[in-house]
Amino acid sequence: MKRDRESKVRDLRFSALGVYLQGMKTSLASRMAYRGDFIMSMFIMMIVEFAGPLITWIIYSNGASFPGWNQYEVLLLQGIFLLSRGISFPFFMGIVWNTIGRVQEGTFDLLLIKPRSILLMSIATAFDSEDLGKLIGGILIFRIALKNLPPQPLSHWISFMVLFLFSLIMMFAFGLFMSGLGIVWVGNYRIYDIFMTVMEFGMYPKSIFSKSFQSILTYVIPVSLLASHPASALLGSVDGTVLPALFSSVIFLLLGIAFYFKMVKNYTSAGG
Amino acid sequence: MYIAAYYSFVCSAVKAAGRVGRHAPMQSIAVKKDNKPPKVFKAVITTSYKEIFAYRSQMAVSVFVQPIYFLVHYFIWRAIFQTREQVSGFTFDQMILYFAVSSLIEFLNWDNSGYTLQRLIQTGQFITFQLRPVSHIYFSFFQKVGQRILAFLIELIPVLCFYILFGVRFSPAMPFWALTSIILGFVMSFLIRYTIGTCAFWFVKTDGISRAVLLFNGICSGAFLPLNLYPEGFQKFLFFLPFQFASYVPVRVFIGHYELAGMTMPIPRIVLVQAIMVAVMLLLNRALWYLGVKRFTGVGA
Repeated sequence: MKRDRESKVRDLRFSALGVYLQGMKTSLASRMAYRGDFIMSMFIMMIVEFAGPLITWIIYSNGASFPGWNQYEVLLLQGIFLLSRGISFPFFMGIVWNTIGRVQEGTFDLLLIKPRSILLMSIATAFDSEDLGKLIGGILIFRIALKNLPPQPLSHWISFMVLFLFSLIMMFAFGLFMSGLGIVWVGNYRIYDIFMTVMEFGMYPKSIFSKSFQSILTYVIPVSLLASHPASALLGSVDGTVLPALFSSVIFLLLGIAFYFKMVKNYTSAGG
Repeated sequence: MYIAAYYSFVCSAVKAAGRVGRHAPMQSIAVKKDNKPPKVFKAVITTSYKEIFAYRSQMAVSVFVQPIYFLVHYFIWRAIFQTREQVSGFTFDQMILYFAVSSLIEFLNWDNSGYTLQRLIQTGQFITFQLRPVSHIYFSFFQKVGQRILAFLIELIPVLCFYILFGVRFSPAMPFWALTSIILGFVMSFLIRYTIGTCAFWFVKTDGISRAVLLFNGICSGAFLPLNLYPEGFQKFLFFLPFQFASYVPVRVFIGHYELAGMTMPIPRIVLVQAIMVAVMLLLNRALWYLGVKRFTGVGA
């Protein structure tokens, strides 16, 4: 009986989740060496997230508006966007910094020789505790927006949850593309800039862009799934473009995975 | 790796000035005739340029990134101006011009002098600068000049071409004052970041403070939005901070009309105020430096 329990604990410890939790614990412990700086950085991360909503607030307080969207609907959209970033950045988007940094230093090899998937190891050693500030910021904006909007029926919440899951999938796909690029484009942290700029399109209602841009944001790089579609679903105004967008996001994810492993295969080093 | 690269950079900078034999005592170097600051600074500019040239592809990313940022802003403001003619005195064309000029000025203003200084203090390598006959602030400033010359060629000119193709009309209302203001903004942005780095004498690791101040700088310098869109009370507060002089003032001088907190000023006068603020900021930095250096202890690096 005891041996059975021990083996279950051991299995859990060496499962993907166990490895990830261990990485998370180590990362937190090392960050706690500079507690003051950690708390301040986390707070700043939270405040940084308010920049987009601040622009929205200023625009609306100057009497201007986005056609067809009231202030709290836009804030809801931005809250969802920040929530998606708030979950993805601390928990798995750190893979990008981790990969770029390790490839540059030559320590990526250390992950490659470990007896686990390189993707799992790259994510597990990349937990970014400071970015939890982003999550807090996202929750706050989301909460403020919801408080100022009429309550939504359960069906809207369910479709929102489904689309939000796809928002996270999109983030993960972005992360894979960025990390893959980081392997071949050594030491270039500006890869982040490229994708963050593309993501910027997801922070505003899809309807403000021209028709051709809307098509790109729905079918080619479905950035509209990051927030625009989930917000529309929660507000009960989801349109017919959502299904092609979901299909595109799955393709985007598969391409991301293929691209990442292709780049890992191309990785060369002289042993760190 | 950074340390080695940095060390080789410093050595090559000094060697390029043609003054240092490997074993030459520093004090004797300091009094040599050809060790005059302009020659050292020219060497620093040249070497910084060459060093950053190795990372030109990183800089070139801006050629892709900036037009996308611009397009996002373009669509945001186009949607907003569909419902009204003006927003806080800006027409649509003026707003687009504001963002275009602001982004170009950001290319010129960007530097990481604060972070570099913080790293030097944190790792103790700062001690090597205490032994050199060159003031670190000037060394750092001319590093920025060297780096930004390349940014001008790789980032600014291609993005400027994109803006022109997009139909943005760049014609400064008063070219002389616009140029003066841009140069002063360049110095001010350096002083702001360098002063943040100086705080490392007290805090050692200043990532958090740097982020806080840089965020505050982004909001208060007018890089996110024109400052006269903020609430009136906040605008009055902003007037007395140094941040607007790094970006907002140069952009408004370029456009030819300065206004903040309901207050308008003739262009020459606001440029004069900007020059005074740069001097005040320099004095503030020197005072902080004087106090900070006294706190610094190192055991050789």
